[in-house]
Amino acid sequence: MDFAFMWETFLILLTGLPLTLELAVTSILAGGILALLLSLFAVVGGPIGRGFTRGYVFVFRGSPLLVQMFLIYYGLGQFRPLLQELGLWAIFREPYWCAVIALTLNTAAYTSEIFRGGLNAVSVQQVEAARACGMSGPLLFRRIVLPIAIRHALPAYGNEVILMLKATALASVITIMEVTGLAGKLIADSFRAFEVFIVAGAIYLAITFLVTRLMMIVEFWLSPHLRMRPPTLA
Amino acid sequence: MSDRGTFLTADNKNSTAAVSVKDLRKRFGPLEVLKGVSLEALEGDVISILGSSGSGKSTMLRCINMLEVPDSGEVCIGGEMFRLKKGRHKTEPADRRQVDRLREHIGMVFQSFNLWSHMTILENVIEAPVHVQKRNRAECIEEAEALLERVGIGDKRNFYPGHLSGGQQQRAAIARALAQRPKVMLFDEPTSALDPELVGEVLKVMRSLAEEGRTMLVVTHEMAFARDVSSRVVFLHKGVVEEEGHPAEVFRNPKSERFRQFLSNER
Amino acid sequence: MELIDRYLVLVGFGETGWGPLLLSASAMTLGVSICGFLAGTVIGSVVTFMKLSRYMVLRWLADGYTTILRGVPDLLVIYLFYFGGSAFLGYLGGLFGYQGFIGMPAFLTGTLALGVVSAAYQSEVFRGAFKSVASGELEAASAVGMRPWPKFRRIVAPLVLRYAIPGLGNTWQLVLKESALISVTGLVELLRQSQIAAGSTRRPFEFYLTAVVLYLVITWASSIAFRHLETRTMRGTRSSL
Repeated sequence: MDFAFMWETFLILLTGLPLTLELAVTSILAGGILALLLSLFAVVGGPIGRGFTRGYVFVFRGSPLLVQMFLIYYGLGQFRPLLQELGLWAIFREPYWCAVIALTLNTAAYTSEIFRGGLNAVSVQQVEAARACGMSGPLLFRRIVLPIAIRHALPAYGNEVILMLKATALASVITIMEVTGLAGKLIADSFRAFEVFIVAGAIYLAITFLVTRLMMIVEFWLSPHLRMRPPTLA
Repeated sequence: MSDRGTFLTADNKNSTAAVSVKDLRKRFGPLEVLKGVSLEALEGDVISILGSSGSGKSTMLRCINMLEVPDSGEVCIGGEMFRLKKGRHKTEPADRRQVDRLREHIGMVFQSFNLWSHMTILENVIEAPVHVQKRNRAECIEEAEALLERVGIGDKRNFYPGHLSGGQQQRAAIARALAQRPKVMLFDEPTSALDPELVGEVLKVMRSLAEEGRTMLVVTHEMAFARDVSSRVVFLHKGVVEEEGHPAEVFRNPKSERFRQFLSNER
Repeated sequence: MELIDRYLVLVGFGETGWGPLLLSASAMTLGVSICGFLAGTVIGSVVTFMKLSRYMVLRWLADGYTTILRGVPDLLVIYLFYFGGSAFLGYLGGLFGYQGFIGMPAFLTGTLALGVVSAAYQSEVFRGAFKSVASGELEAASAVGMRPWPKFRRIVAPLVLRYAIPGLGNTWQLVLKESALISVTGLVELLRQSQIAAGSTRRPFEFYLTAVVLYLVITWASSIAFRHLETRTMRGTRSSL
């Protein structure tokens, strides 16, 4: 193995890292907000809200992200005059924004399902107990439902964050030179697939590791009831 | 060998025992569960093994078919001894094939039934005869149906275990063990996981098996069964045999203080 | 309505329609997904055995395998197999005196990459399923004297498979969507075919939309199939009552 080459590769790939992180953070945040809106719509929107959210989730989870990205980047390019008229062309002209939009729309579908799962985890008994002591409405939601739901949804959410990090690699297919894009170019130029793979893989694994650790810390911090050792009866 | 644990009567010293266990020792970590247990079951013996929880009675039973491998001691089935060897960390069977061969003819009934959930009751019963003992399938089915009939669930043969009550599942498990044509039957607290009203139906089947002269070793809490059905009672306490003998004898006049205590607690 | 008519001609089965090509490309998507999934089952089973092994080295290797493949973008794995495979074939060719470039067959690349990636997920599914099999049922198999292989074949495998089906269903969906990435190697599957059609007609929107719809049909149909499979194999458990 050629370590000088790998070091050089590492330095080149590192220049793509800010872009990878930027894509991931932007779309995770925007996707989270969109997912919240979707979940809210499903709860308060009656049958239409529920139907819309279900349809949205079905479409974005049922088709490949890459196709969604192509549809937004290349497909919408077909409507250039209209988009120009609306003043949106500045956004859809940029591969970066198209990638962000595709990633956001996609993760929102998965995240809203995670939210739903979290809310479902709140048992009727727990809600009943809260009602019994006089809680209702926003207070009930804020004090009982939300905390339980968040704790339950956290592991799945951490998983989704990692999946999103990996998904940013697809942006390279629409010409964005983040880590995977640079790696692909290096491989195609040098034909040293293995070495580049190891370096690029190590970069992704390092971030994944950090994210997992971070999630563990949050989880630890959020669940004192699991942390506390029950008094031992010996 | 601990003299207290041996049970050898004068007249059967030379005949081959169905099961014989000598100086069994087993520890789990720091806990010594069996501290030298010996036991012998002759053909047709029904031995009830009593003891409070943690006395080592289930471990002893599980050592007989090597589900638990003893650290030392001997286990013989029909005169053949399980060959053991010292492994790096623990004692292991020297010959896995021998273990499987001997197990073929030891029927085991578990506390939690352990029926295979992906098979119907009939499939559960014929599994070992057909796939382990390689007997003719049609014959096995016929025999299995008779066995299911006998334990009173002939109409349930095409049900899956999950669809039966605990008592029915345990009777199916007994039929499954019987289908092996076992020389010895081991029962590991067969009624402990059952609702009180279902205990009777299982005990009835076990009683009828005892009456037809099967060799049975039964770990149980059912005092009535131990007293009325078994030919011998063994009381384990902290890994040793505290008391043993004919039920009429030991129940009427227990020699050990611990057994006396145990009896008064159980009532 | 002229818009819809024009669209239908474009993706239809007429002389100028792309319908037949899109359909055969869908078949290619299914083909490479199935091969990749099955390859993943084989590799995944081996990895599962390693995870359940009593040797720490094997467990460690297997855990490393899943950690890496679940943390690294799949596109990179595809590049590795495509370019790495070509380099390897070139090296082999060199041994036999051939000096030119030997491309890695795209279908093989796809199968391998999808297999290796999905194996990481499948092994997790299998491991979880194995853990949910009641230990008593395995003990009962030992108690009747079953040898290791019959025990695996008659008791362990059917039980594990049963618990694994929902998870395998998810993995299959994943593979199906992942297969779109194989288009970068030039394999003419659904996405690549849509790209070709979009390029030649300059109507990308219609074709990518059609691709989305076709993918949805496939994932929808397979989710139904898996649900059916699940209810069939879960018969006999109490939850089905």
